[in-house]
Amino acid sequence: MHPIPRLQTPIFDFLLPSLSPQLCRVSRASITTSTASPPPESSPQALQSTSKAQRRRPLSREQKQFLDSALRVNHAGELAATLIYTAQTPPIVKSHPHLRSLMHHMYAQEASHFTTFSNLLAKHRIRPTAMYPVWTVAATALGWGTAMMGREAAMACTEAVETEIGGHYNGQVRVLLKWVKEMEDRGEEVGEEITELVRTLKRIRDEELEHLDEAVEQDAKNAGGYTFLNRVVRSGCKGAIWISERI
Amino acid sequence: MIRRVLHRPPSPHLVFTKSTYHSYEHERTSPFTPPEDAVLSAGLAQVPKLGFTVDALAQGARDAGYRDVSINLFPAGPFALVHYHLVTQRRALASKQLEQGTSVDSKIRKLALERLHANAGIIDRWQEALALMATPSHVPSSIRELSLLADEILFLVGDQSVNTSWYTKRLALSTAYASSELFMTTDKSPNFTETEAFLSRRLLESKKLGTSIHSTTTWLGVQSMGLVNGLRSKGLRI
Repeated sequence: MHPIPRLQTPIFDFLLPSLSPQLCRVSRASITTSTASPPPESSPQALQSTSKAQRRRPLSREQKQFLDSALRVNHAGELAATLIYTAQTPPIVKSHPHLRSLMHHMYAQEASHFTTFSNLLAKHRIRPTAMYPVWTVAATALGWGTAMMGREAAMACTEAVETEIGGHYNGQVRVLLKWVKEMEDRGEEVGEEITELVRTLKRIRDEELEHLDEAVEQDAKNAGGYTFLNRVVRSGCKGAIWISERI
Repeated sequence: MIRRVLHRPPSPHLVFTKSTYHSYEHERTSPFTPPEDAVLSAGLAQVPKLGFTVDALAQGARDAGYRDVSINLFPAGPFALVHYHLVTQRRALASKQLEQGTSVDSKIRKLALERLHANAGIIDRWQEALALMATPSHVPSSIRELSLLADEILFLVGDQSVNTSWYTKRLALSTAYASSELFMTTDKSPNFTETEAFLSRRLLESKKLGTSIHSTTTWLGVQSMGLVNGLRSKGLRI
């Protein structure tokens, strides 16, 4: 038996640009309790070193698609977060004036995240989610509704949202670090865009997890129907992430 | 089953435009391979004489030094010529100089006009191209090209909006451009001055519509916030 020679058919590449669009899935690295800090990631050299004259190859189609949907989801998520805090603040501050500075602090951080992702979307020509108006209404309703249920419920909402979001960012950071590692193994320069994005995502994730801790300190777990509320909000977040990744 | 559907990665076919993450660290690669490029550009040079036909494509292949049979590489036939023209002219917009300091609206108008003028050489045959684009099997890629053109123009003028207006702006520009393109095929005025006026009117109309929608939604927002705050000041716990 002759071994079948491997056909050299450059024409196939041209006719079939991609038969196997396998996207890197975000394996979410879950964070279930506030005290569990995210597991340590490897810190590749590229994150510290500055650019050197090395070869560099363009991101693959799958990588671009991943970044496209990841940044779109993050933008939608931060939009929702700012709106939740905006809607929660008046009723909460009215009944608990001492929480004014905390609410303002969390809102200001979310607003800065939202600006960051808005700029990234415009810069990298990424389409914002088509569900923009829907998320606006849904997030405002969620924030106002939980604030009306009282301080504990509002904090339980914050806790549930930030748990999901923290895990979500963590998954993205892992995927990006995997790319960085692969690029380094191949001896390529990683490029400022990706390293900067990893740094931004890590910073934002840590700030979201701070909100989670603050919410738990404010008796989030004492809310009436805590388990139910937590389940509902978290599955709502998961659904919203799923939709925003796609449309 | 449900699990499999839920875990399927986001498909690029669900989105309206397939343009994805734009990196600044790599040059944009051409979507055409060098042989395709050679055949299609030679074919396009034959369009004023032969029209958007298989003959033009075959002549282009011969001119580029390939055998006639190589046009089988283009299953879309003459539409490949139309598509090539659309893509290359869209990508050529990036090299156009935009005056600094002018308003975004005038920059949009300038780029849309540049793109329209790129059709001037084959304007007598452009109705054939429009007919090909309207063929059911080519409608999706024609619409996609139109949306990519609007996206390109808005990116080049530095539009930063990333909310719902991202969609409305692109839709409005696409509509204005497509109607102007159709108008241009019947325009006999010197240097297409009537098309320019037509485009300006369409852009102005869509701007007026956009402004009134924006002011209406802003007004509604202000009114409802006022209502809520008024009720709060009356002691209602909301």
